[in-house]
Amino acid sequence: MGRREFLQASGAIGAAVAASGAAAANEPAQKKRYGMLIDTRRCFGVHACSVACKAENGVPLGQTRSWVEYIEKGTYPNVSRSFLPRLCNHCEKPNCVSVCPTGATWKRAEDGIVVVDADICIGCKYCVQACPYDARYPNPTTGAVDKCDFCFHRVAQGLEPACVEACPSRARVFGDLSDPESEISRTIATNPVTVLRPEKGTEPNVYYIAADHTGERTPALPNQYVRIETHRRQIERR
Amino acid sequence: MNAELFWGFPVVFYLFLAGVGAGALTVSSSVLLRGGGGPSGAHVDVARYGAFLAPLPIIIGCALLVFELGSFEVGHWFKWLNLYKVINLSPMSIGTWLLTVCIFVSLAYAYTFLSDPPGLGKDGALRLRRPLAWVSVPLGVAVAVYTGVLLGAMPSRPFWNSPILALLFLLSALSTGVAVILLARALLHPSKGGAGGEDRAFNESGYLLTASDSLLIGIELVIVFLFIMFAYLTVGDVRHAIAVILSGGDLAAVFWLGFIVLGLLLPAIVELKYVVPRLLFHKTFSPPRGIEILVPVVVLVGGFILRYVVVVAGQITGPVGI
Repeated sequence: MGRREFLQASGAIGAAVAASGAAAANEPAQKKRYGMLIDTRRCFGVHACSVACKAENGVPLGQTRSWVEYIEKGTYPNVSRSFLPRLCNHCEKPNCVSVCPTGATWKRAEDGIVVVDADICIGCKYCVQACPYDARYPNPTTGAVDKCDFCFHRVAQGLEPACVEACPSRARVFGDLSDPESEISRTIATNPVTVLRPEKGTEPNVYYIAADHTGERTPALPNQYVRIETHRRQIERR
Repeated sequence: MNAELFWGFPVVFYLFLAGVGAGALTVSSSVLLRGGGGPSGAHVDVARYGAFLAPLPIIIGCALLVFELGSFEVGHWFKWLNLYKVINLSPMSIGTWLLTVCIFVSLAYAYTFLSDPPGLGKDGALRLRRPLAWVSVPLGVAVAVYTGVLLGAMPSRPFWNSPILALLFLLSALSTGVAVILLARALLHPSKGGAGGEDRAFNESGYLLTASDSLLIGIELVIVFLFIMFAYLTVGDVRHAIAVILSGGDLAAVFWLGFIVLGLLLPAIVELKYVVPRLLFHKTFSPPRGIEILVPVVVLVGGFILRYVVVVAGQITGPVGI
C-alpha cells in the first residue's frame, strides 16, 4: 500500500468513526448490563421471592435458584436478625463460565446475563464447584446444572424478574447498570452499596444496601451467638 | 459436616485410577527409553508390565466419571459426547482431550508389547515402540498434572486453589504407578530361588523401581510439607481451609494416619531398609515376597486416601465470610 492510499484509507476510517459517534449520540449503542440491587433494610424475610422464583421457573423440590438467608447474632439484649436475599450474581468475570468444558454456560454479550443451556450441559458439576456463591445446583429432572437467569424470558417481554415483582416491600431493584439514568444506577450512585465476597474477584452484578456480611466464621463478634439459616439443602454456607 | 458433596466417590476413584494409569505409563516408557528401547534392553520387563497395566485404570476412571454426570443419571446416556464438540480453556475440556489421546496412545503402546501383534509383526512393533514411548512420557505427566489443575482452577475452593496440588498429584501418580508395576511383578513373576541370571535381572529391576519409589515418596513428603506450611502461614480462606486436615479437623485422622503414616512413611521406611544395603554396600536386593506385595499395596492405598482427603476437604471448606 502506497503512502497516498494509506492516507486515503485512514481518512475514510476517521470519517466512519465520526459517523458512528454521531449515531451513538442519538441512540445509546452501549450494551446492556443487567444487575440487581437489594435493599436489605426493606427485606423482612417472607420468602416471596423464593416462592415466586420456584413457581416461575419450575425449580424442583428441595432446590432453590433464589433464597433468603437469616442471620441471627448477638447476646440479649444486644441482638439482631437480618435477612440476606441471595441469587446468582451474574458476575462480570464468572468463574463458572471459565471452567465449563462444553460451553453450555456463558455470559450473554448483549445484556450480561449468565445463562445455562440445559440441552448442552452434561451435568459435570464443575461450575457448581467453581461458583463462590453456591448459586448453582444440579437439576435432578433435566440432569443439567441450573441457576438464576434473571428471568430473561420475562425481561425479553419487558417484565421484571419474578422475584422483583413478588417482593412485597420493594426491596429489589432490577435494571440496566450501563444506563446511568436507570433506577438501579441512580440508587447505587446515591447509596453505600456492597457486593458479596468481592475478594474472589468475580465482580458481581448484584449489589446490596446494608447487607449483613456476618458469617459463622466472622470474628466480628467474639464469643457471641451467631446463627445463619440458609433455608437450603446446603445447611451451612460454604 | 453439613456440606453437600457434589463430587463423590466416582471422582475420587477417577483421580486415583487416572493417576495410577498415567504413572504406570510414564514409568514404563521412561524406563524403556532409558534402557535403550530394544527387545533386550535393560529392565524391558518393567516397561512391559507398565505398558500392559496403564490403559485399563485410565479407561475405568473415565468411565466412572461418565457415571457421575447429571445427564447420565437421568438417562441421557451419550450426552457426555458434547465434551468432544468444543475445545476451550476449561481444565476439564483440555483434560478430556488429553485423556482421550492418552487412552489411545497407551493402548497402542501396550499393543507393541504383544509377542507377535497381528497386523504389525514383531519388527513393526519394535519399530513403533520407541516413538510411542517418546509420546507417552509427556502424555502421562500431562494427565497426572491435569488432575491437580482441574481442582486448582477455582478461587471458590481455597483448599484446592494451590499450584502445588498438581505437583503433589504428579508425584503421587508416579509413585502409585511404580507401585502397581511392583505389585504386578511380585504377583505374576514365577517364584524365586533359581540362581540364574534372569533372577538377578529381576532383582535389579526391582531395586530400580523400589529405589525410585522411595525417592518419589521423599519428594512427595516435601511437597506435602510445603502445601500445608504455606497454607498454614497465610491468613483468610486458605488458612481456614487447611485446618480441616490439621489437628482437630474433620479429616485430620484419615490424612495423617491414612496418607502420611500408612501411605508415605511406612512404605518409605520399609523400602529404604532394602534399598540402602544395595545402594551403599552392594548387597543383593531381594526382599521377601510378602514385603514385595505389601509395600506397593500400602502405597496404592495411600494414593487413594490422598485423593479422598483432597476431594472431600475441598468441598467441605469454602471462603470465610460472605
